[in-house]
Amino acid sequence: MRISNPSLSHLTKNPLTTIIILLAISLLVLFLPSRLSNRIKMVCITPIQPLQWTTCFCSNTVSNFFHNVITAWHDAQKKRQLEVQVDELKNKIIEQQDIIYKLNNKLSNLSKFQPENRTTGASIIPADIIGYDSSNFRKSISINAGLKHGVKVNNIVVSRNTLIGRVVVTSARSSIVQLITDPASRIPGRVLQTREQVIIEGNATAFCQLKYVPRWAKIKTGDDIVTSDTGGLYPPSLPVATVIKNEIQSGALFQSVKVLPKVDISKIESVLVITQW
Amino acid sequence: MMHWIAIGSAVPDLYFPLVIYYSFITDMKRNAIINWIIGLSKDLFSEGSLGINSIFFVAIGILIWSIRGVVFRGHIITQILVTFIFSILYNMLYATYIAISFHSLHLLPTVWKILICSLYTAMIVPALFWVLNTFQPTHKFSLTRDK
Repeated sequence: MRISNPSLSHLTKNPLTTIIILLAISLLVLFLPSRLSNRIKMVCITPIQPLQWTTCFCSNTVSNFFHNVITAWHDAQKKRQLEVQVDELKNKIIEQQDIIYKLNNKLSNLSKFQPENRTTGASIIPADIIGYDSSNFRKSISINAGLKHGVKVNNIVVSRNTLIGRVVVTSARSSIVQLITDPASRIPGRVLQTREQVIIEGNATAFCQLKYVPRWAKIKTGDDIVTSDTGGLYPPSLPVATVIKNEIQSGALFQSVKVLPKVDISKIESVLVITQW
Repeated sequence: MMHWIAIGSAVPDLYFPLVIYYSFITDMKRNAIINWIIGLSKDLFSEGSLGINSIFFVAIGILIWSIRGVVFRGHIITQILVTFIFSILYNMLYATYIAISFHSLHLLPTVWKILICSLYTAMIVPALFWVLNTFQPTHKFSLTRDK
């Protein structure tokens, strides 16, 4: 009987032998001194290092790309928020500009009126326009000054040193001003250049008309109309309007004169109430 | 690349699904060799003793190879469950080894980490197996229970 010795190839064909060999190698390297073990590691890793570097580089590049995309997305969102904030701030600036304009206007009104009337001792109350007449056939405004501020009925209301109306109704904190363009408004006036006495009457339009202008009165376009001291309700010599058209109709007793108030009521925001002059 | 896919401190083990995959598709001898190489490569690229992972991977590979006949290894749930269970086993072995070597592991955090890492490793198995099947179409899993 012939007994053959198992060769290495025979041994490696057996899975169990392979496993034992592999485990033995593992145990061998496991119990190697750490210095030697680390050296083996380094030797094995060195050829793979370029691959590792490439992988790491690609990974970092992709990571950075995604990071940039996310950052860009965040930035876009932040930009949108900032745009909204900028819009809000712009609106606030507009609001502030508007307030500054109003205050400037009020200050300008005061500074114009005050020196001119210092000698007369006029007492004035600044007020803001808070409402306009809702009717098409009446012309009045509401102001935010009333009895508590010292405003009384029949006080005169001016803007830019020009008459715009008189107070007709007052409450504690507001008043209603009948404008010179109101159909019920009648103001004794005088033509500055010719000294003719006239009545300035409103007609619910942007213009007024002069009543009782004699036919012989030499009124021409551009003449100024001021308040007269007749009646005592209005302070004298207060500018009111400018003549823009006059005609003499045949058979009529008086001239027909169309005047334009010196102040466009629709464009002012604050007025001065003259309580005493 | 690992920090990309890390969820908190949990990082999936990308080597371990390879052990499962090759234990499912190769014979015992190849399985042992491949797992040994995978283990050794893990040792090479990680801090610690050279050879410990190769021992664990070969052992785990043999275990999986021995049970592969009784499970539906082509099914995704089986793959996930097997990976999860054996990942816990492997991590426990490795944690024990670390605990014995360095006495620096705390029980509860270690158990928690083992569970999370195993779960995460199991979760990436379908994607990883799909990639491996794509590159090795001849070794695709069949849904039949064969040996």
